[in-house]
Amino acid sequence: MYKHSGSRGSGAPSWVLQRITGLLLVVVVIGHYFVMHADPASGHTYAAVLERMHHPFWKMFDLTFITVGLWHGLNGTWGIFRDYEMKPVVSLTIYGVIILSGIAFWVLGVNTILSF
Amino acid sequence: MAMAYQAKPPEGWVNTNLKYYKHGGSWAWILHRITGLGLTAYIYVHIYALTTLTQGEKAFDEEMRLFTTPVFKILEWLLFSLVLFHAFNGVRIVLVDWADGARYHKKILTVVYGLGIVLFIGMGLLMFMSPLKNMIASIK
Repeated sequence: MYKHSGSRGSGAPSWVLQRITGLLLVVVVIGHYFVMHADPASGHTYAAVLERMHHPFWKMFDLTFITVGLWHGLNGTWGIFRDYEMKPVVSLTIYGVIILSGIAFWVLGVNTILSF
Repeated sequence: MAMAYQAKPPEGWVNTNLKYYKHGGSWAWILHRITGLGLTAYIYVHIYALTTLTQGEKAFDEEMRLFTTPVFKILEWLLFSLVLFHAFNGVRIVLVDWADGARYHKKILTVVYGLGIVLFIGMGLLMFMSPLKNMIASIK
């Protein structure tokens, strides 16, 4: 058994993916802000949102966005915790909360996107 | 990680961390973590808030009336500062890791803050100029 959970791998694949998803999100999140928040009507009215939601492109876009965004955020959060040595029970609990809440909110978001 | 489990230092982890000598890069490291945690918390709130889309037009537009009040718009604008810092400092991290950025990371940090401030003000103008114009027009 491993003394500290999260220490079994080098973490290299998630390290690379954190950078790749990050570079993607730089463009997408800043773009998202300009589209949704600079013009309140396009991001804050049901009619405008629904029009986008019926486009396959925006559906795919939102599904990718939510997956990449959540993964990047939660992998980063776990990365912060991994920097500290914790008792196995503590690190397992934190890891469990991250994974389970991540899955729950991913399902919640995907459900919203696929309702249209 | 391969080291033996270490006892908590007497002054606590947070104070131990705060004690370290800090230069621009260490502050960027700290800010990157704080903004990252903040944005991750926000994505949860964001996903939850948008579930009202499934409850129809009335529920969604009512919620958005709250989110387009001045207080929420200012919060939304302030949130953009977290996005900008985390995004540009993230690019800086990638450059340090993959493009020999350790040689010029201090210069990139200036660009991170500079570009961030410019885009933050730009977003502020986009978000608040037309409401401000309307407000002034309604007073006249």
